[in-house]
Amino acid sequence: MPFSSANGMRFHYQQTGSGPDVVLVHGLTGDLSIWFLCRAMQELGGSHRVTAYDLRGHGYSDVPPDGYTSADHAGDLVALMDQLGIDRASVVGHSYGGVIALHAAVLAPGRFEAVVLSDPYFPALRHLEDVSRWGHWRDFRQEAHEAGVELSDEHWYDLGLFFDQVLHLDGERLLRFRQAVGLPALNRLLRLGRTTCGDDSKVEAGLTVERIARVDLPVLALYGESSPFLATAAFLEAHLPRCRTAIVPDAKHRAPEENPEGFLRLLQEFLARPPRPAGARRLAT
Amino acid sequence: MSTPSGAEILTDLTNLLGNFQGREYSGAIGPETRFFADLGLASIDAVVLGEMLQSHYGRDLPFGDLMAELGRRADRDLLVGELVEFLRRHL
Repeated sequence: MPFSSANGMRFHYQQTGSGPDVVLVHGLTGDLSIWFLCRAMQELGGSHRVTAYDLRGHGYSDVPPDGYTSADHAGDLVALMDQLGIDRASVVGHSYGGVIALHAAVLAPGRFEAVVLSDPYFPALRHLEDVSRWGHWRDFRQEAHEAGVELSDEHWYDLGLFFDQVLHLDGERLLRFRQAVGLPALNRLLRLGRTTCGDDSKVEAGLTVERIARVDLPVLALYGESSPFLATAAFLEAHLPRCRTAIVPDAKHRAPEENPEGFLRLLQEFLARPPRPAGARRLAT
Repeated sequence: MSTPSGAEILTDLTNLLGNFQGREYSGAIGPETRFFADLGLASIDAVVLGEMLQSHYGRDLPFGDLMAELGRRADRDLLVGELVEFLRRHL
Protein backbone atom coordinates (compact mmCIF):
# COMPACT_ATOMS: atom_id res chain seq x y z
CA MET A 1 0.00 0.00 0.00
CA PRO A 2 1.75 3.21 -1.10
CA PHE A 3 2.11 6.01 1.43
CA SER A 4 3.62 9.45 1.09
CA SER A 5 4.57 11.85 3.88
CA ALA A 6 3.42 15.44 3.67
CA ASN A 7 2.95 18.11 6.35
CA GLY A 8 4.18 15.62 8.97
CA MET A 9 1.47 13.09 8.17
CA ARG A 10 1.25 9.85 6.25
CA PHE A 11 -1.11 9.82 3.28
CA HIS A 12 -2.38 6.71 1.51
CA TYR A 13 -2.45 7.20 -2.23
CA GLN A 14 -2.93 5.15 -5.38
CA GLN A 15 -1.45 5.92 -8.76
CA THR A 16 -1.95 4.46 -12.23
CA GLY A 17 -1.34 5.22 -15.91
CA SER A 18 1.00 7.67 -17.61
CA GLY A 19 0.63 11.04 -19.29
CA PRO A 20 -0.38 14.48 -18.00
CA ASP A 21 -1.16 14.40 -14.27
CA VAL A 22 -4.68 14.25 -12.84
CA VAL A 23 -5.25 14.30 -9.07
CA LEU A 24 -8.57 13.08 -7.63
CA VAL A 25 -9.92 14.42 -4.32
CA HIS A 26 -12.81 12.63 -2.57
CA GLY A 27 -15.40 14.22 -0.27
CA LEU A 28 -15.86 14.30 3.52
CA THR A 29 -16.49 10.92 5.21
CA GLY A 30 -15.46 9.19 1.94
CA ASP A 31 -12.16 7.77 0.70
CA LEU A 32 -10.27 7.17 -2.55
CA SER A 33 -12.24 4.00 -3.33
CA ILE A 34 -14.97 6.20 -4.88
CA TRP A 35 -12.62 6.73 -7.85
CA PHE A 36 -12.31 2.97 -8.39
CA LEU A 37 -16.05 2.34 -7.96
CA CYS A 38 -16.90 4.90 -10.67
CA ARG A 39 -14.02 3.71 -12.92
CA ALA A 40 -12.26 7.09 -12.98
CA MET A 41 -8.92 5.48 -12.02
CA GLN A 42 -9.30 2.76 -14.64
CA GLU A 43 -10.51 4.98 -17.52
CA LEU A 44 -8.43 8.14 -16.99
CA GLY A 45 -5.32 5.98 -16.53
CA GLY A 46 -5.42 5.25 -20.27
CA SER A 47 -4.38 8.81 -21.10
CA HIS A 48 -3.13 10.35 -17.83
CA ARG A 49 -1.06 9.59 -14.77
CA VAL A 50 -3.88 9.47 -12.21
CA THR A 51 -3.27 9.95 -8.50
CA ALA A 52 -5.96 9.51 -5.85
CA TYR A 53 -5.34 9.90 -2.13
CA ASP A 54 -7.18 9.63 1.18
CA LEU A 55 -7.69 13.02 2.82
CA ARG A 56 -6.34 13.50 6.34
CA GLY A 57 -8.77 11.83 8.77
CA HIS A 58 -10.04 9.48 6.05
CA GLY A 59 -9.35 6.00 4.66
CA TYR A 60 -5.81 4.80 5.43
CA SER A 61 -4.29 8.26 5.92
CA ASP A 62 -3.34 9.64 9.34
CA VAL A 63 -6.03 11.19 11.53
CA PRO A 64 -4.75 14.36 13.26
CA PRO A 65 -7.04 15.80 15.97
CA ASP A 66 -7.47 19.11 14.14
CA GLY A 67 -6.69 21.06 10.97
CA TYR A 68 -9.65 20.22 8.74
CA THR A 69 -10.45 23.51 7.00
CA SER A 70 -10.30 23.62 3.21
CA ALA A 71 -7.06 25.63 3.61
CA ASP A 72 -5.50 22.77 5.62
CA HIS A 73 -6.62 20.16 3.09
CA ALA A 74 -5.45 22.34 0.18
CA GLY A 75 -2.02 22.60 1.85
CA ASP A 76 -1.94 18.78 2.07
CA LEU A 77 -2.81 18.48 -1.62
CA VAL A 78 0.01 20.76 -2.76
CA ALA A 79 2.51 19.17 -0.31
CA LEU A 80 1.55 15.72 -1.57
CA MET A 81 2.07 16.87 -5.17
CA ASP A 82 5.55 18.08 -4.14
CA GLN A 83 6.35 14.71 -2.57
CA LEU A 84 5.11 12.73 -5.55
CA GLY A 85 6.92 14.93 -8.07
CA ILE A 86 3.71 16.25 -9.62
CA ASP A 87 4.65 19.66 -10.91
CA ARG A 88 1.35 20.57 -12.51
CA ALA A 89 -1.96 18.70 -12.56
CA SER A 90 -5.59 18.87 -13.45
CA VAL A 91 -7.48 18.41 -10.20
CA VAL A 92 -10.90 16.79 -9.81
CA GLY A 93 -12.76 17.17 -6.52
CA HIS A 94 -16.08 15.66 -5.54
CA SER A 95 -18.34 17.49 -3.06
CA TYR A 96 -16.07 18.97 -0.35
CA GLY A 97 -13.15 17.65 -2.42
CA GLY A 98 -14.17 20.35 -4.91
CA VAL A 99 -13.83 23.02 -2.23
CA ILE A 100 -10.36 21.68 -1.47
CA ALA A 101 -9.45 21.62 -5.18
CA LEU A 102 -10.52 25.22 -5.75
CA HIS A 103 -8.81 26.37 -2.55
CA ALA A 104 -5.57 24.74 -3.74
CA ALA A 105 -5.95 26.53 -7.08
CA VAL A 106 -6.29 29.84 -5.18
CA LEU A 107 -3.21 29.14 -3.04
CA ALA A 108 -0.99 27.71 -5.81
CA PRO A 109 -2.47 28.64 -9.20
CA GLY A 110 0.76 27.80 -11.03
CA ARG A 111 0.45 24.14 -10.03
CA PHE A 112 -2.87 23.50 -11.73
CA GLU A 113 -3.81 23.00 -15.35
CA ALA A 114 -7.57 22.85 -14.82
CA VAL A 115 -10.10 22.29 -12.05
CA VAL A 116 -13.16 20.02 -12.09
CA LEU A 117 -15.73 20.73 -9.40
CA SER A 118 -18.12 17.81 -8.93
CA ASP A 119 -21.13 19.17 -7.05
CA PRO A 120 -19.46 21.15 -4.28
CA TYR A 121 -21.17 23.81 -2.25
CA PHE A 122 -18.89 26.43 -0.73
CA PRO A 123 -19.19 27.81 2.81
CA ALA A 124 -18.76 31.32 1.33
CA LEU A 125 -21.66 30.71 -1.09
CA ARG A 126 -24.15 29.08 1.26
CA HIS A 127 -26.45 32.11 1.02
CA LEU A 128 -27.18 31.10 -2.60
CA GLU A 129 -28.77 27.78 -1.75
CA ASP A 130 -32.23 26.95 -0.43
CA VAL A 131 -31.92 24.37 2.34
CA SER A 132 -35.43 23.02 1.83
CA ARG A 133 -34.56 21.75 -1.65
CA TRP A 134 -31.81 19.47 -0.45
CA GLY A 135 -33.49 16.09 -0.77
CA HIS A 136 -30.19 14.42 0.10
CA TRP A 137 -30.23 16.04 3.53
CA ARG A 138 -33.90 15.15 4.05
CA ASP A 139 -33.21 11.51 3.09
CA PHE A 140 -30.16 11.45 5.33
CA ARG A 141 -32.17 12.92 8.23
CA GLN A 142 -34.83 10.25 7.73
CA GLU A 143 -32.23 7.46 7.69
CA ALA A 144 -30.58 8.89 10.79
CA HIS A 145 -33.99 9.17 12.49
CA GLU A 146 -34.77 5.51 11.77
CA ALA A 147 -31.38 4.64 13.24
CA GLY A 148 -32.04 6.66 16.40
CA VAL A 149 -30.21 9.91 15.64
CA GLU A 150 -32.27 13.11 15.51
CA LEU A 151 -30.83 15.83 13.30
CA SER A 152 -32.05 19.39 13.25
CA ASP A 153 -33.93 20.62 10.19
CA GLU A 154 -32.87 24.17 10.96
CA HIS A 155 -29.23 23.56 10.26
CA TRP A 156 -27.62 23.17 6.93
CA TYR A 157 -25.86 19.85 6.40
CA ASP A 158 -24.07 20.16 9.69
CA LEU A 159 -21.33 17.58 10.12
CA GLY A 160 -20.24 19.00 13.48
CA LEU A 161 -23.70 18.50 14.92
CA PHE A 162 -24.00 15.10 13.33
CA PHE A 163 -20.67 13.89 14.73
CA ASP A 164 -21.62 15.25 18.14
CA GLN A 165 -24.85 13.25 18.14
CA VAL A 166 -23.22 10.05 16.91
CA LEU A 167 -20.53 10.30 19.61
CA HIS A 168 -23.17 10.56 22.33
CA LEU A 169 -25.42 7.66 21.29
CA ASP A 170 -26.17 5.29 24.17
CA GLY A 171 -25.85 1.50 23.87
CA GLU A 172 -29.23 0.64 22.34
CA ARG A 173 -29.28 3.49 19.84
CA LEU A 174 -25.62 3.02 18.98
CA LEU A 175 -26.43 -0.60 18.09
CA ARG A 176 -29.30 0.49 15.82
CA PHE A 177 -27.13 3.11 14.15
CA ARG A 178 -24.35 0.56 13.67
CA GLN A 179 -26.80 -1.83 12.03
CA ALA A 180 -28.03 0.95 9.74
CA VAL A 181 -24.68 2.25 8.50
CA GLY A 182 -22.46 -0.82 8.98
CA LEU A 183 -19.47 -1.26 11.29
CA PRO A 184 -16.68 0.12 9.07
CA ALA A 185 -18.68 3.25 8.31
CA LEU A 186 -19.50 3.69 12.00
CA ASN A 187 -15.87 3.30 13.04
CA ARG A 188 -14.73 5.83 10.45
CA LEU A 189 -17.44 8.28 11.51
CA LEU A 190 -16.51 7.92 15.18
CA ARG A 191 -12.82 8.43 14.40
CA LEU A 192 -13.51 11.52 12.31
CA GLY A 193 -16.15 12.72 14.78
CA ARG A 194 -13.50 13.07 17.48
CA THR A 195 -11.57 15.54 15.32
CA THR A 196 -12.46 19.15 14.46
CA CYS A 197 -13.48 18.09 10.93
CA GLY A 198 -17.20 18.74 11.33
CA ASP A 199 -16.91 22.35 12.42
CA ASP A 200 -13.81 23.13 10.34
CA SER A 201 -15.63 22.15 7.14
CA LYS A 202 -18.20 24.92 7.68
CA VAL A 203 -15.80 27.87 7.70
CA GLU A 204 -14.55 29.87 4.71
CA ALA A 205 -10.93 29.66 5.89
CA GLY A 206 -9.94 32.36 3.40
CA LEU A 207 -11.84 30.95 0.43
CA THR A 208 -13.98 34.07 0.10
CA VAL A 209 -16.49 34.90 -2.63
CA GLU A 210 -13.94 37.30 -4.17
CA ARG A 211 -11.17 34.70 -4.24
CA ILE A 212 -13.48 32.07 -5.73
CA ALA A 213 -14.52 34.48 -8.49
CA ARG A 214 -10.89 35.30 -9.39
CA VAL A 215 -9.80 31.74 -10.21
CA ASP A 216 -8.51 32.23 -13.75
CA LEU A 217 -8.02 28.60 -14.77
CA PRO A 218 -10.17 26.37 -16.96
CA VAL A 219 -12.87 25.22 -14.54
CA LEU A 220 -15.62 22.69 -15.17
CA ALA A 221 -18.62 22.97 -12.83
CA LEU A 222 -19.93 19.41 -13.10
CA TYR A 223 -23.29 19.21 -11.33
CA GLY A 224 -26.02 16.59 -11.11
CA GLU A 225 -29.23 17.28 -13.01
CA SER A 226 -31.12 17.27 -9.69
CA SER A 227 -28.28 18.62 -7.58
CA PRO A 228 -29.32 20.72 -4.59
CA PHE A 229 -26.53 23.15 -5.51
CA LEU A 230 -27.45 24.37 -8.99
CA ALA A 231 -27.42 27.99 -7.78
CA THR A 232 -23.75 27.48 -6.91
CA ALA A 233 -23.15 26.07 -10.41
CA ALA A 234 -24.81 29.14 -11.95
CA PHE A 235 -22.70 31.46 -9.78
CA LEU A 236 -19.47 29.71 -10.80
CA GLU A 237 -20.25 29.90 -14.52
CA ALA A 238 -21.30 33.55 -14.25
CA HIS A 239 -18.36 34.78 -12.20
CA LEU A 240 -15.27 32.71 -12.93
CA PRO A 241 -13.55 33.91 -16.11
CA ARG A 242 -12.96 30.45 -17.55
CA CYS A 243 -15.70 28.29 -16.07
CA ARG A 244 -18.36 26.35 -17.88
CA THR A 245 -21.08 24.13 -16.48
CA ALA A 246 -21.88 20.56 -17.49
CA ILE A 247 -24.88 18.68 -16.16
CA VAL A 248 -24.79 14.96 -15.36
CA PRO A 249 -28.20 13.50 -16.19
CA ASP A 250 -30.01 11.25 -13.68
CA ALA A 251 -27.87 12.41 -10.78
CA LYS A 252 -28.39 14.36 -7.57
CA HIS A 253 -25.42 15.20 -5.34
CA ARG A 254 -23.44 12.02 -5.97
CA ALA A 255 -23.01 11.75 -9.72
CA PRO A 256 -19.92 9.46 -9.50
CA GLU A 257 -22.15 6.90 -7.76
CA GLU A 258 -25.54 7.74 -9.28
CA ASN A 259 -24.49 7.96 -12.94
CA PRO A 260 -20.82 6.95 -13.19
CA GLU A 261 -20.91 6.59 -17.01
CA GLY A 262 -22.40 10.06 -17.51
CA PHE A 263 -20.03 11.59 -14.96
CA LEU A 264 -16.98 10.00 -16.52
CA ARG A 265 -17.91 10.91 -20.11
CA LEU A 266 -18.21 14.64 -19.26
CA LEU A 267 -15.03 14.52 -17.18
CA GLN A 268 -13.05 12.89 -20.01
CA GLU A 269 -14.37 15.35 -22.60
CA PHE A 270 -13.23 18.27 -20.45
CA LEU A 271 -9.80 16.81 -19.66
CA ALA A 272 -9.21 16.16 -23.35
CA ARG A 273 -10.09 19.75 -24.30
CA PRO A 274 -10.30 22.21 -21.39
CA PRO A 275 -11.51 25.65 -22.57
CA ARG A 276 -8.49 27.69 -23.64
CA PRO A 277 -9.06 31.40 -24.24
CA ALA A 278 -8.74 33.46 -21.07
CA GLY A 279 -11.66 35.76 -20.45
CA ALA A 280 -13.40 34.69 -23.66
CA ARG A 281 -16.56 33.78 -21.86
CA ARG A 282 -18.14 35.81 -19.12
CA LEU A 283 -21.88 35.47 -18.73
CA ALA A 284 -23.95 38.22 -17.20
CA THR A 285 -26.18 37.27 -14.30
CA MET B 1 3.61 -20.73 -12.22
CA SER B 2 0.79 -23.26 -12.54
CA THR B 3 -2.76 -22.02 -12.07
CA PRO B 4 -3.84 -22.51 -8.46
CA SER B 5 -7.06 -24.42 -7.81
CA GLY B 6 -10.16 -22.85 -6.26
CA ALA B 7 -9.36 -24.56 -2.96
CA GLU B 8 -5.80 -23.20 -2.95
CA ILE B 9 -7.07 -19.70 -3.69
CA LEU B 10 -9.61 -19.94 -0.87
CA THR B 11 -6.80 -20.94 1.51
CA ASP B 12 -4.71 -17.95 0.37
CA LEU B 13 -7.68 -15.61 0.88
CA THR B 14 -8.48 -17.06 4.30
CA ASN B 15 -4.90 -16.42 5.39
CA LEU B 16 -4.92 -12.86 4.08
CA LEU B 17 -8.37 -11.96 5.46
CA GLY B 18 -7.95 -13.67 8.84
CA ASN B 19 -5.55 -10.95 9.89
CA PHE B 20 -6.24 -8.15 7.44
CA GLN B 21 -4.52 -4.86 8.33
CA GLY B 22 -4.21 -5.98 11.93
CA ARG B 23 -7.95 -6.63 12.29
CA GLU B 24 -8.55 -10.07 13.73
CA TYR B 25 -11.47 -12.00 12.33
CA SER B 26 -12.14 -15.12 14.37
CA GLY B 27 -15.06 -16.71 12.48
CA ALA B 28 -14.61 -19.31 9.75
CA ILE B 29 -14.18 -17.85 6.25
CA GLY B 30 -15.87 -19.75 3.41
CA PRO B 31 -17.32 -19.10 -0.05
CA GLU B 32 -20.55 -17.70 1.46
CA THR B 33 -18.77 -15.22 3.75
CA ARG B 34 -19.70 -11.66 2.77
CA PHE B 35 -16.80 -9.28 2.37
CA PHE B 36 -18.52 -6.25 3.87
CA ALA B 37 -21.43 -7.49 6.01
CA ASP B 38 -19.55 -10.41 7.65
CA LEU B 39 -15.89 -9.40 7.59
CA GLY B 40 -16.66 -5.77 8.39
CA LEU B 41 -14.50 -4.44 5.57
CA ALA B 42 -15.21 -1.41 3.37
CA SER B 43 -14.59 -0.59 -0.29
CA ILE B 44 -11.29 1.11 0.59
CA ASP B 45 -10.19 -2.25 2.08
CA ALA B 46 -11.09 -3.91 -1.22
CA VAL B 47 -8.65 -1.57 -3.00
CA VAL B 48 -5.89 -2.53 -0.57
CA LEU B 49 -6.72 -6.26 -0.65
CA GLY B 50 -6.60 -6.15 -4.46
CA GLU B 51 -3.08 -4.76 -4.23
CA MET B 52 -2.02 -7.44 -1.71
CA LEU B 53 -3.37 -10.20 -3.99
CA GLN B 54 -1.55 -8.81 -7.03
CA SER B 55 1.66 -8.78 -5.07
CA HIS B 56 0.95 -12.29 -3.65
CA TYR B 57 0.37 -13.78 -7.11
CA GLY B 58 3.01 -11.62 -8.76
CA ARG B 59 0.85 -10.28 -11.57
CA ASP B 60 -1.62 -7.56 -12.48
CA LEU B 61 -5.26 -8.55 -12.14
CA PRO B 62 -8.29 -6.59 -13.43
CA PHE B 63 -9.46 -5.55 -9.95
CA GLY B 64 -10.69 -2.28 -11.42
CA ASP B 65 -13.41 -4.20 -13.26
CA LEU B 66 -14.42 -5.98 -10.08
CA MET B 67 -14.54 -2.68 -8.16
CA ALA B 68 -16.66 -1.06 -10.86
CA GLU B 69 -19.08 -4.01 -10.81
CA LEU B 70 -19.26 -3.68 -7.04
CA GLY B 71 -20.14 -0.01 -7.49
CA ARG B 72 -23.17 -1.02 -9.57
CA ARG B 73 -24.52 -3.47 -6.98
CA ALA B 74 -27.38 -2.35 -4.77
CA ASP B 75 -25.97 -4.00 -1.62
CA ARG B 76 -22.33 -3.22 -2.51
CA ASP B 77 -21.29 -6.59 -1.11
CA LEU B 78 -19.18 -9.43 -2.45
CA LEU B 79 -19.03 -13.11 -1.50
CA VAL B 80 -15.60 -14.60 -0.83
CA GLY B 81 -16.64 -17.34 -3.31
CA GLU B 82 -17.09 -14.69 -6.04
CA LEU B 83 -13.60 -13.37 -5.35
CA VAL B 84 -12.22 -16.93 -5.56
CA GLU B 85 -13.97 -17.38 -8.93
CA PHE B 86 -12.63 -14.01 -10.16
CA LEU B 87 -9.08 -15.00 -9.21
CA ARG B 88 -9.42 -18.48 -10.71
CA ARG B 89 -10.55 -16.92 -14.01
CA HIS B 90 -7.66 -14.45 -14.18
CA LEU B 91 -4.70 -16.35 -12.70
